[in-house]
Amino acid sequence: MTTAHTNQSVPEHRPQISRRALLKDSAAAVVASALLSARAAAGEQPIPGASSDSLRKGRVIDCHAHLTHRSRSTWETDDRKLIEAADKLGIGQLCCSMLTPHRPATADGFRECNQWTADGMRRFPGRVLGYCYVNPGYGREALEEIRRCIGDRGFIGIKLYNEYTCTEPLVFPIVELAIKLDVPILHHASHSHYFVEDQPRMSDGGHLAELARRYPEAMLICAHISGGGDWEWTIKALRHAPNVLLDTSGSVTDEGTVEMAAAVVGVDRLVFGCDSSMTAGVGKIRGANLSTQDKEKILGENMMKLLRRRKP
Amino acid sequence: MIVDVNAYLGHFAFRRLRHNTAAALLALMDSKKIDKAVVSSAGSITYRNAQAGNEEVAAEVRGHRDRLIPFAVINPFYAGWQDDLKICHEEFGMAGLRLYPNWHNYQFSSSCCRELVNAATERGMVISIPIRVEDNRQRSWLLNVPDLPLEEIVELVKAYPKARFILLNGIGYTGCPLGRKDNGLPSNYAIELSRLSAVLANELGQLITNLGTERVMFGTGMPFNYPDPALVKLEVLDASEADKEKIRSQNAMAWLQL
Repeated sequence: MTTAHTNQSVPEHRPQISRRALLKDSAAAVVASALLSARAAAGEQPIPGASSDSLRKGRVIDCHAHLTHRSRSTWETDDRKLIEAADKLGIGQLCCSMLTPHRPATADGFRECNQWTADGMRRFPGRVLGYCYVNPGYGREALEEIRRCIGDRGFIGIKLYNEYTCTEPLVFPIVELAIKLDVPILHHASHSHYFVEDQPRMSDGGHLAELARRYPEAMLICAHISGGGDWEWTIKALRHAPNVLLDTSGSVTDEGTVEMAAAVVGVDRLVFGCDSSMTAGVGKIRGANLSTQDKEKILGENMMKLLRRRKP
Repeated sequence: MIVDVNAYLGHFAFRRLRHNTAAALLALMDSKKIDKAVVSSAGSITYRNAQAGNEEVAAEVRGHRDRLIPFAVINPFYAGWQDDLKICHEEFGMAGLRLYPNWHNYQFSSSCCRELVNAATERGMVISIPIRVEDNRQRSWLLNVPDLPLEEIVELVKAYPKARFILLNGIGYTGCPLGRKDNGLPSNYAIELSRLSAVLANELGQLITNLGTERVMFGTGMPFNYPDPALVKLEVLDASEADKEKIRSQNAMAWLQL
């Protein structure tokens, strides 16, 4: 790795996929693009609790991204490539977590990941926003880690994976703390019509809807509708769960996914994400038959609204 | 000019497809500036008698042959496939095939498949092979059709050096001989890009380096897929405009004699 990574601001390159291109197919794209540029030029409000003040209206925010675990020798290059890909695709911010290579994660394992995520936030200031990843099974240690990451390190939310189904009581204290801290939880989820042996405690949209009913004030994000099995099932399962947002990430590019999600749960509950499938993520939104305004909401406004709920 | 080598018409058994008539697909193509598309029947993937889907496609593309290039879905395990092949080629003017061994329950190594590949090659037909139809994680409770193993494709291209194959909806080629430089395989196959990464691992770029620009073709998988992800890949690809033009259209046009 040759490029300097320490505490240096990453210059924003002109993206190859312009904002206008991302919104294209929408009649008002040109107007909206001009408006957004004007807003950005006028200066924008910082997001309370975000790691930098650079989260601005009009920015494209990838709500589901990952930095590379350092057990992988290429981690530094991989992280740099992620930012370069975001540059090319016009993605302003990446909400990143880092997962342990083997799960269930140990407390030391998730603390190490979060330490490295915090380092990623320093290496790419204003580009990388951090999710604090914990295994709820570690109870007090998990809660302490969340408090440390959100309170001291400027993380923007919590990432939960598949160690526990989200409706298990062990998870509730995490949700209650997230409510107290006013931060979202991005929850790994999938629904397949068969038992996924290597993820026996996988949550799905139905579980998240149940959790949302128990905690209507929680801000939950159901991960990767386009990488989580039967997306039609997931969208329908979440129709009546207004405090669950759906993240559009995943490698699946099935035509009509975004439009169905918008029709069933409403466009205000959709947040753009890639989960490392970068061109798929961007292409789906670009291809969706939605208005420019709706795409603006999905690409960044909805996530920004969520993040702005946190008190300074 | 953009030529999509991976498009479909008709209904799919497990999910509603939009833009799946000739008129609707052409409208979608217009909106994305895609000039021509190779189409086959989505219905034939699950029809017992695949020829019924070929007949539907032949009827749909009538009057649009300047833009829609029909391919036949042939199941070599089904009665009368030789007649179907002859009709598809000679009467319907279908320039190539799409094969679904896992969906139609046969193997590339089976004698009937050998016969079909040889017959199609004799006719100068291109043989396209979708590595998958849809992501297996979202499969119906009724069936489990795994992706085609790339190792089987390696054996296939080796066994039929005179045949011409287009591999669709695949990924991970660089992890097997198909995508490696100097792999000793005949250069009788091209790889379609709809699922390849163009950033991060950038498998698309690696394939161009390893195999040459001539071996990569543009495809979207529409209307199963949004066409835009494939278009975005080409836009962000680090390649010369001349190379992009080969991928966008020239390679496919040469193979399909358009």
